[in-house]
Amino acid sequence: MALDGVDVAVAEGETVGVIGPNGSGKTTLFNALTGLYAPAGGEIVFRGRRLAGLEAHAIARLGIARTFQASRLCLDLSVFDNILIGMHAGRRTGLVDFVVRRRRFLGEIRAALERASHLLALFNRDLPSRGFERVGQLPQIDRRRVEICRALAAAPTLLLLDEPSAGMNPEETAELMRDLRIVREEMPGLSVVIIEHDMFVIEGVSQRVVAFNYGRKIAEGSFAAVAAHGEVRAAYLGTEAVGA
Amino acid sequence: MSRDLALVWVAEAAVFALVIAGILAERPWALGAAGGALAAAGALVRWAPGLRTALARAFARRRGAALGCGVVLALALPLALRSSPYWTFVATLALLYVTIGQGLNLQIGTAGVTNLAGAAFAGLGGYSVGLLTVAAGWPSWLAVLVGPWVAVAVGAILFVPILKTRGHYLALVTIAFVFIFNILMNNLEFTGGPQGIKNIPTLRLFGYAFTTRPVLAGVALPAHANFYYAALVVAGLTTWVLRRLHDSWLGLALNTLRDDEIAARCSGVAVARGKLLAFSIGNFFIGLGGAVYAVIVGFVSPPDFDFGYSLVMLSVIIIGGVDSIPGVILGACLLVPLPERFRFLHEYRLLLYGVVIVVMLLYRPRGLWPAQVRRYR
Amino acid sequence: MLGVMYALVAVGFTLFFGVLDVIHFAHGDIFMLGAFAGLTALVGLKAAGVGGSLLALPLTFAAAILVTGVVGVAAERVCVKPLAGTSPLMTLLATLSLGLVIRESVLIFYPRGADPKPFPQLLPQGGFEAGGVAIRYENLAILAIGLAAMVAVDRVIKGTKMGAAIRAVAQDPEAAQMMGVNLDRTVDATFFLGSGLAAVAGILSGLYYSEIHFIMGITGGVIGFSAAAIGGLGNVYGAIVGGLLFGVLQTTAAALIPRGSEFRDVVAFAVVMLFLVFKPSGIFGEKSVERV
Repeated sequence: MALDGVDVAVAEGETVGVIGPNGSGKTTLFNALTGLYAPAGGEIVFRGRRLAGLEAHAIARLGIARTFQASRLCLDLSVFDNILIGMHAGRRTGLVDFVVRRRRFLGEIRAALERASHLLALFNRDLPSRGFERVGQLPQIDRRRVEICRALAAAPTLLLLDEPSAGMNPEETAELMRDLRIVREEMPGLSVVIIEHDMFVIEGVSQRVVAFNYGRKIAEGSFAAVAAHGEVRAAYLGTEAVGA
Repeated sequence: MSRDLALVWVAEAAVFALVIAGILAERPWALGAAGGALAAAGALVRWAPGLRTALARAFARRRGAALGCGVVLALALPLALRSSPYWTFVATLALLYVTIGQGLNLQIGTAGVTNLAGAAFAGLGGYSVGLLTVAAGWPSWLAVLVGPWVAVAVGAILFVPILKTRGHYLALVTIAFVFIFNILMNNLEFTGGPQGIKNIPTLRLFGYAFTTRPVLAGVALPAHANFYYAALVVAGLTTWVLRRLHDSWLGLALNTLRDDEIAARCSGVAVARGKLLAFSIGNFFIGLGGAVYAVIVGFVSPPDFDFGYSLVMLSVIIIGGVDSIPGVILGACLLVPLPERFRFLHEYRLLLYGVVIVVMLLYRPRGLWPAQVRRYR
Repeated sequence: MLGVMYALVAVGFTLFFGVLDVIHFAHGDIFMLGAFAGLTALVGLKAAGVGGSLLALPLTFAAAILVTGVVGVAAERVCVKPLAGTSPLMTLLATLSLGLVIRESVLIFYPRGADPKPFPQLLPQGGFEAGGVAIRYENLAILAIGLAAMVAVDRVIKGTKMGAAIRAVAQDPEAAQMMGVNLDRTVDATFFLGSGLAAVAGILSGLYYSEIHFIMGITGGVIGFSAAAIGGLGNVYGAIVGGLLFGVLQTTAAALIPRGSEFRDVVAFAVVMLFLVFKPSGIFGEKSVERV
């Protein structure tokens, strides 16, 4: 059993950090939330709606967006295409429009492209001009930004970030924190849950922190409170170190 | 400005002229000369940097004119080939492969749904036309419109495998399907067994029988040119529709679910619906190709739609460029006429064909005209 | 009987999938090549005067195995391994085209290649009755040879260093290399082994049907692939079980269904399709899983 009796609540506009050693169930939580795994028991309630058993794409359409630990972008598609897919669920035009009422479709696409450019420009002024390049040609930090833009493109109410700073050096991490602040400014009502190993990032962006170990929640509270929590320190440092 | 225009027209006309010369050449040296000239032109474009950028810019700026010129040349082809009804037929066949290829490309290239049963779906279109016209007495034009839908309907048999299997296993399921189709067509009574269905009536539109010889610009063309133009219209419409579908929300969603299904699902793409839609739309056009084939050739039989043809359809897509609309056209226009042109190699023909495909895959895996970034035009 | 031949071809498919993650669609035509190589060897032996001797059969097998082994390795080096990393579609088309090349080569270079060729009867004829069923010595011999081949494969895979290397590479190529396994040589050995097995199957097929035909590889290959898939790609015992199962399916279908001999393949393939839909990774399961 990967998750055992986890009980977490997130308020509107809040940023919650999730920490815990590898294998403690953090990504599993995200996968259950987004419908990739079907939970064996318990309830997932999102803005009054039950999510358990829904298809992943239906959950996405309800307003939950996520990024992935190993960023899942379509490397051969353009930067714009990778962001536009986030707006796919909100489309108004259909098959007939694509073929015969082309102008109507093109109008909708133009608006979508503008929104994509706007989102890209928030993080990096130069990115919109590279919009039609294949995303595989961008540096890693910009690719992460594209992934975040894809998640934001759908105007979600809940954003799940899975270890966004993975593989980044301190400079890139500082840029990431700047990016997360930009997200906060751009969408103040957005609830964010962020899984991280980098405590610097967690401390910098979270209002509340939840700690996991072996699939269970072991602590919850402010960063300082959780960091000082005995079981949390034992999970990260080992019981001997805590005793000292 | 007009220099771009001139460049586009001259380039297209030159290629057209050399290709016609190569096709109609009677002596080996003439064929060699035409082939050599084409190769030299290709090498020049590839390695002379100034020429390449100038051509690329000209074609990019004058897309409408380039397309228009291509259409004019395509219309003029039967005129140029009027001395050879056989080659008009080969050109028609290439156009049918364009139609089939665009459908198959939507499935395999755009949506990533492996389908090795292309020959079966073409066969469903062809046999439907045969049965509707010969057994039920329908007019040919109506049968051709209905045939593709039969392909779509029977394709529903594969819906569950498509959703539940992928990659090698799906390939195997579709191979099994085409083998089953072939054996059934060969052994069932109402499909005519090994003889197939003969005497499919020719196309008659508004009283014009397609067996009469058309006249273009005062020149009498072989009767077969009628079918060429019909196939041209079908291929053109197919390409037009599928290009628009490719450069749309649908094409984008299909590409995404092909490249990363999990990311697609979490972005709100209904993956199952997308795959089945791509599969069905693709089958329609594959069936359409088979249906038109039946009317052109006048009979259908099991060997016309066996697994080997699925292989040809697959090569057209991969050699041309997976998920590339112009690639399919290029692939069909090369892979259908070239083996015919090299018939003088007799039994070595297919051997060389296989070798060429392997070499192409080793050195040009992305195809001759790789898919470009989506531009939503 | 048929099942034994299918099993031998299926083992090849599954071995190749194990080490390179590819489906080698030309393998069916290697099976055909083995049959023709065997026939050529027999013709040669007859010319040398030893055609009827006890040595003829083992020499034939040896010659055919050598030929297919070499061709198999050459094919792997030229077009299977280079494309192994790219999409499955590429290897699909490449190996299918390679199969075409092998098929056409036999058609062209073997005298009157388009005609089916009679295969001499090398096995003891006659038979006996047991419980109302007629059993022929020939079939028993085929069964015995096939089983012997499978036991030999089992010994190689389980008992030799190369066998261990093959299993290691099938599980995790990188880890295997770090443990000192020579990847290229292991892949070569795998292809030699698989192709050799196909040769045995090809000769057995010739003995069973008393004739061979240059197109026998197409259906043979599809059946071999189906059998390997049913058993679970990558699993050698699965492939054996799958092959035997397919043989049973065909014979039962032929016996039970009216006009069964024509439709037996339809039934067999239909069962394969259903099987793949409901148990996609085969009886014993496939190798890998995707992580989110």
